[in-house]
Amino acid sequence: MKMRVAAVLVLALAAMTCVARAQQEKLPEASALEKDLAARASDVTEVTLSKQMLAFAAQFMDKDDKDDVQTRKLIEGLDGIYVREYAFDKEGDITPEVVEKLRAHYMTGEWTPMVHERETKSHETSDVMMKIVNGEPRGIFVLEAEPKELTIVLILGPIRMEDLGKLHGISGLGSLNIVSKSTKASQGK
Amino acid sequence: MRMYLLIPVCAVALAVPVTVLANGGGRGFNGVVDAIESQYHVHATRIPFMGLISFVASRASHGAAGNLHVAEFENFSADVDGQELNRMVEQKLGNGWERVVRETSKAGHEQSLIFMRPEGARMGLFVVDKDSNEMDVVQVSVDPQHINEEVGHYTHHHGSNDASHDDSDSDKDKN
Repeated sequence: MKMRVAAVLVLALAAMTCVARAQQEKLPEASALEKDLAARASDVTEVTLSKQMLAFAAQFMDKDDKDDVQTRKLIEGLDGIYVREYAFDKEGDITPEVVEKLRAHYMTGEWTPMVHERETKSHETSDVMMKIVNGEPRGIFVLEAEPKELTIVLILGPIRMEDLGKLHGISGLGSLNIVSKSTKASQGK
Repeated sequence: MRMYLLIPVCAVALAVPVTVLANGGGRGFNGVVDAIESQYHVHATRIPFMGLISFVASRASHGAAGNLHVAEFENFSADVDGQELNRMVEQKLGNGWERVVRETSKAGHEQSLIFMRPEGARMGLFVVDKDSNEMDVVQVSVDPQHINEEVGHYTHHHGSNDASHDDSDSDKDKN
């Protein structure tokens, strides 16, 4: 009898671990297209912060500062931050096909489009999507393309649009300004 | 019987140097510096008494920063492929290190790589930074808790000084 109880407990524990792992997402590997863009770009910026590194980085926040405490909580809850910026010397490297391929690469059924902008004159495009799981936000994806510049921002974990402002100050995440701009623009319309 | 023992001993004795050579030299900080030296035909300036400096830095910062390693490459004129440098540093650093930032600028010949590694309650930082004709390689181990306390102590102290300055200013105004 005791053996059966122990076996049930072990199985339940294993199931809970599996559920917890399934909820915690991993950052994607760079796609072949991104590697190609990185090889051709004149300037490349890549920021990759896994959950473990975010949890560690959060320790640098001031415990006595109210704003820092909030940011620390936010960062500790995230599963990862992935930023890629590619700048080119001349136009033509970032075609609509490239943008569409990247968009398709990241998108799965759980992503909901928030902003979808295409400016024909300036050839600029903006896409902002939110990952919603069981009605809860679980990630933000931004793809911003200009004739000579392409930016990808992927934040996984429980995050809301209004939380993005708190991450601006973190080194290397300046491109999050794009998200704010895009969302403000969409809200203004 | 002795012959049977001698064979495995000789085999192990031969295998060890072969394995070391196959690994292509050292790992960690020295491995990265050696790899850069041989790949780009440059020579690193290693700061003398670095161990002592690291010890002093650790004591002075109350343990907030330690295990300091610095190497400087001057007259670094070779072209650097960002991806190749990244691959080489990743390979030489070994397991445990995660690259968090990579910045590459072809026009300005600039390269920046920042790696992080949890070291118990501390965090290991490894930075490779190339700016025009100079490259710096730095490794340091920091204690976030200590740094917070030190920075907090400074900002609180500084803040109270500011407050006292403000008070004295307002007193002057009153007078």
